[in-house]
Amino acid sequence: MKQLLQDRVATLGILILLIGIGASLAFPQQFPTFDNLQQIVLNVSIETIVAIGMMILMIAGTFDLSVGSVLALSGSLAAWMLVQGYPMPIAVVVALLSALAVGWFNGFFIARIGINALIQTLATMGIVRGLVLLVAGSGIQDLPYSFIYIGQSKMLKVQSPIWWMLALLLVFHLLLKRSIFFRRYYYIGGNERAADLSGIRVGNMKLYGFVLSALLAGVAGILLTSRLGAAISSMGKGTELRVITAVILGGASLSGGQGRILGAFLGSLFMGLIANIMVLARVSGAWQDIILGLILVAAIGFDVVLRNRAGR
Amino acid sequence: MHLLELKNISKTFPGVKALKGVSFTLNSGEVHALCGENGAGKSTLMNILAGNLQPDVGGEIVLEGQIQAIQDFNQARNLGISIVYQERSLSDNLSIAENIYANCQPQNRWGFLDYAQLYADSKGVLTRVGLGELAPQTLVEDLSAAQKQLVEIGKALAQNPKILILDEPTASITERETQHLFGLIKDLKKTGVGIIYISHRLAEIFAIADRITVLKDGAYQATLPAQEADSPKLIKLMVGRDLGELVKNQKSTSNEVALEVKGLSGLKFQNIHFKLQRGEILALAGLVGAGRSEVARAIFGMDRYESGEIWVNGQQKRFSHPADAVAAGLAYVPEERKSQGIFPDHSVAENILAAQFAGANWGGGEGEAHRQKLAQQQFDDLHIVAPSLRQVVRLLSGGNQQKTVLGRWLSKKPQVLIVDEPTHGVDVGAKFEIYQLLQKLAAQGTAILLISSELPEVLALADRIVVLCAGQISGELNAAEATEEGILRLAAGMN
Repeated sequence: MKQLLQDRVATLGILILLIGIGASLAFPQQFPTFDNLQQIVLNVSIETIVAIGMMILMIAGTFDLSVGSVLALSGSLAAWMLVQGYPMPIAVVVALLSALAVGWFNGFFIARIGINALIQTLATMGIVRGLVLLVAGSGIQDLPYSFIYIGQSKMLKVQSPIWWMLALLLVFHLLLKRSIFFRRYYYIGGNERAADLSGIRVGNMKLYGFVLSALLAGVAGILLTSRLGAAISSMGKGTELRVITAVILGGASLSGGQGRILGAFLGSLFMGLIANIMVLARVSGAWQDIILGLILVAAIGFDVVLRNRAGR
Repeated sequence: MHLLELKNISKTFPGVKALKGVSFTLNSGEVHALCGENGAGKSTLMNILAGNLQPDVGGEIVLEGQIQAIQDFNQARNLGISIVYQERSLSDNLSIAENIYANCQPQNRWGFLDYAQLYADSKGVLTRVGLGELAPQTLVEDLSAAQKQLVEIGKALAQNPKILILDEPTASITERETQHLFGLIKDLKKTGVGIIYISHRLAEIFAIADRITVLKDGAYQATLPAQEADSPKLIKLMVGRDLGELVKNQKSTSNEVALEVKGLSGLKFQNIHFKLQRGEILALAGLVGAGRSEVARAIFGMDRYESGEIWVNGQQKRFSHPADAVAAGLAYVPEERKSQGIFPDHSVAENILAAQFAGANWGGGEGEAHRQKLAQQQFDDLHIVAPSLRQVVRLLSGGNQQKTVLGRWLSKKPQVLIVDEPTHGVDVGAKFEIYQLLQKLAAQGTAILLISSELPEVLALADRIVVLCAGQISGELNAAEATEEGILRLAAGMN
């Protein structure tokens, strides 16, 4: 029982289930429909892709504030190239390469030069947001169908961003569980110096982590732009904080060493669920933020109390 | 009348009975040593005395004839009880003076901090602990480990305690500073202070203590006058069994050089050279700060070095990261176990398996089942005492944590094993097990580089001893001809 309570994936899963049942009873007409449930998942799908990268970084004991800007950069750059007449695959590849470059820029200064991750990614967040304004201006519209198709098509009645999210979740879930490469992040987050002395190249691994996180943000940017059918320079604003909230709700800790990919998904899903119920209950947006903040404090407080008891 | 009398003190934590009806007395002007393995309850008892923990109902603390219920640390301090913790309580970012008088800085009549008084008082305290040459304004982060320890003792003395508790005060200080500390303790005895002295180092206990009390598994074992005690007797009381003398193995040194260092120079060491043969235990001795760990870290690829060569099995190597050293068959057990050795919140199994993730491996490796078997094997071979492989390492005793770190490397079957203070903060039982393990490994052909400040340990284990002084080799001794005195003389730079 105690172990179950300490496993965030289990507690959050049960909580989501209970809230879902409660919402079904409260709003039997609106909540438990295929369309509404799909809408909840669809709403969180793009940020969940960003959350996968953030979860990996937080397992390693670090984080990236620039993901929202990177998301916007990748989307805007793809849109700009399409409008210039480049073919869709080239636009997408260049957009992803730009995300990769930003990730490498972060990783290089954090892992090689030794700048604090908060400062570095905060700076990058501003720099990249500026680049987005240069590229997207007041917005880029009239994107070709070949690009719109990426994020707006359906398979088996389910919207494509959900499929993208599920595929990436599955791949990274398996990688984090099974591969030597990704398991190292748990050691790095557990004790960076001990990891180095155990022969794990902490610097390199962190650099790869930032590259990966930016790349996933780039993928999310393409999906979002494709869904919107336009690139808007304010895309992804606040994404970094929502994603970090979701990842922490999903069981990551700021000191690193713990967390699972499934937790990143459940954390996002939980936030989407709350938002959906608020809308159904006609609660104003201000209350959503208040309630989400309180839930975050409650969840972490619960964790700390439980751990302090176990530690004695 | 005793200065202090603890009667029938018990302490129950959820699931564990840490103390079982322990009684203890302390007279004024006495040094009373408290011995026991890690987990025997020494720290718990002292934390009760210092007000950090409350004893179970039924126990009594009698101070100068009056029963006291010590609710918190401040009350203990007001009653004249000062404690010097094993783990530091200094803030690195503040000056020595601000640390010594933390929470009780002198005030002027406006209620502001009186810096002149603060620095004058601190200077006096520093002189008492033998750091008179340091300015009280010096930041604590600029001090060596030994100096920090002495400042810590000064902080306790500044309260003018009636009872001073020293918990492993010599763990990180050198021989010379230990002698100074002992002088200080003798002075304090004359002024009537009662001192409770906790240490793993039996030699020190015999040198300084008047009486010795032994705890085992939270229970009182015996109190002996120091004259009547000797090491075998104490060890038997502490571990409940005879350990016997450590017998040196038949050496099978094969003249094959496993590791050779030629003219290695770095920031804190110059022109280091030695050869380490297969099956040999070579000790790097010297005072704390002599540059021994720095040499080891440079060899292992953790720190850069400026010049010199490193040869492993006849091939010249230059390691840019420990991963390269691991690939070449080296292993390193660091001195700072807590901050550099273990992954505190990970399981025993994960800690043992950490080195399996070294290097450039990307794939699935040999599979989870294979890894679990590796971990289980080390767990069994090393007799790691833990409920299971899934236990979080943070909750193990120091000795078992150290065995876990050793197990991590043994599963890689290294050719050269570097161990830095392998028994630092490890209880007697585990210490002997680690000694036996190192000897067994050497007998199997592993080349071992031992860094240790404990001279009996160096003498018991090493085949050859290279002594460092201020970053340079000041001499080399054969085990047969080495004595503690001889090593110390070289370590201090006297020829």
